[in-house]
Amino acid sequence: MAAAESPSAALRRRDLCSRGIRLAGKMRADVVDLLDAYVEQQGLDASASVAAMEGVPLAAVERWDEQTGTQRLLENLAAYRAFRALLAQMLEEQREQLGEADAGLGRALAAVLLQVSAFAYHLEELLRLESRGIPGEEEEDGPPPPPRLSLFEQKLRGLGVLRELAQWAVRSVRDLRQLAKPSPATGTAPGLAESP
Amino acid sequence: EMYMQYERVGADVTMKCGSMDWDAAVTWTANGTDINESHLNGSYLILKNVDLSQSGHYSCYEGSSWHLKYQTYLRVGTPPKEPVLMCRSNNYPKGFYCSWHLPTPTYIPNVFNISVIHGTKEMVCEKDAVPKNRCHIRYLQLFSTVKYKVTLTVTNALGKNFTTLTFDEFAIVKPDPPESVVAKPVPNNPRRLEVSWQNPSSWPDPESFPLKFFLRYRPLILDQWQHVELSDGTSHTITDAYAGKEYIIQVAAKDNDIGTWSDWSVAVHATPWTEEPKHLTTEAQITETTSASTSSFMAPPTTKICDKGAVVGSGAVAVCWTAGLVVAAYSVLFI
Repeated sequence: MAAAESPSAALRRRDLCSRGIRLAGKMRADVVDLLDAYVEQQGLDASASVAAMEGVPLAAVERWDEQTGTQRLLENLAAYRAFRALLAQMLEEQREQLGEADAGLGRALAAVLLQVSAFAYHLEELLRLESRGIPGEEEEDGPPPPPRLSLFEQKLRGLGVLRELAQWAVRSVRDLRQLAKPSPATGTAPGLAESP
Repeated sequence: EMYMQYERVGADVTMKCGSMDWDAAVTWTANGTDINESHLNGSYLILKNVDLSQSGHYSCYEGSSWHLKYQTYLRVGTPPKEPVLMCRSNNYPKGFYCSWHLPTPTYIPNVFNISVIHGTKEMVCEKDAVPKNRCHIRYLQLFSTVKYKVTLTVTNALGKNFTTLTFDEFAIVKPDPPESVVAKPVPNNPRRLEVSWQNPSSWPDPESFPLKFFLRYRPLILDQWQHVELSDGTSHTITDAYAGKEYIIQVAAKDNDIGTWSDWSVAVHATPWTEEPKHLTTEAQITETTSASTSSFMAPPTTKICDKGAVVGSGAVAVCWTAGLVVAAYSVLFI
């Protein structure tokens, strides 16, 4: 069983969680605005259902309240790394489709991509604090890239990506609040006092 | 054997007297009272354009023997209109409830069936004992982008209707109003009121899912509300109240991140602290009032010639400057 967290580590964790909550809150607000602009610019129906697409991390989770702190951090990190790649791809597709025709949407996409990258880094900091190894990113071992999508499929995928990202931002706020809670008995964060 | 019969308002109803022939002599009663023969066509009872008041127990007796040949309970009503359905989560993230009602009564029994589908999964909506027109669902997943589809079907003997609601998890989150709202004056502060409240007891985990609050207040004599949004804490001090005026105060709650505002809490009333008026009964107060009201200076009888700071010397020979000048002046006069 791991030793109880030191007071300075607990303070650092709470500080990182608070800042992470603010980051995720701001990110969500920007993603929601981006989603509205994207739907309008791409001529999509805002209420259209989009089936789950390969490679887009789903925010939906069962038994969320039973997750450990480590699980929360690892799942969040995996998700935001995936979103980083997806948003970069969307940005590239956007530039190919429209060139400079809608620079505003491109800039908004780039701003959200920056926030996603910053948040992923923030999660890595939290994992380091936990003295957990940070999982490497899948680069060479991943599956081969899917066949190139049609323009319409790209648009739908973009819609799916932004919707899931908005959900993840809310989930991340909730996850970080759980992490920030001190455990009453040991003073450690719930679910973090585990054997490696 | 007692039959049950349902008919629409406005319908024409024909009742046969069991297996009796058309030309048999019969007597019909409604709730024990004989029905006029003008309503009969042979042994058939004809009720034209029925209304709600014609619901009741109808019996048919053979003419001579007065044997009961047939009886039925007639219930006049209407088929159901499209029901009104509402779903809400006031206990996020535990689950949500749906409640329903008919916009107009049918006057006959109705059966409600509800189905809840999330993606491809059918979920069970457990009916509440009280109230009867409500059921609740536990969330199996959180943070899903897949919408919930709730279909309510209502059926009665005269027809059927339904309605469907589609929503996502976040959209229906609406807490109950804050509880135990208390407003108190602040001693010695004529423009302040201290307001405090509690999270609604139905909100299961305010630590993990904190609420933010909206406070509104106004003096009773004005119509316009002042508003304050508060992102944390369950108390607030109003600092710009009009002195001496009675205020009405309410609070609403919302999840910090998702959903909509609750209804307003029960209103509380409070008046800021005011100073007690002074009663003019003591001599000192009268004197004070008098000296304060004179326009030119007039030394009151108790006023001393010497102020403390104007004394020169000490002990038995201590004199003040003023007295000294007066004495000096008289001295000069008499020299």
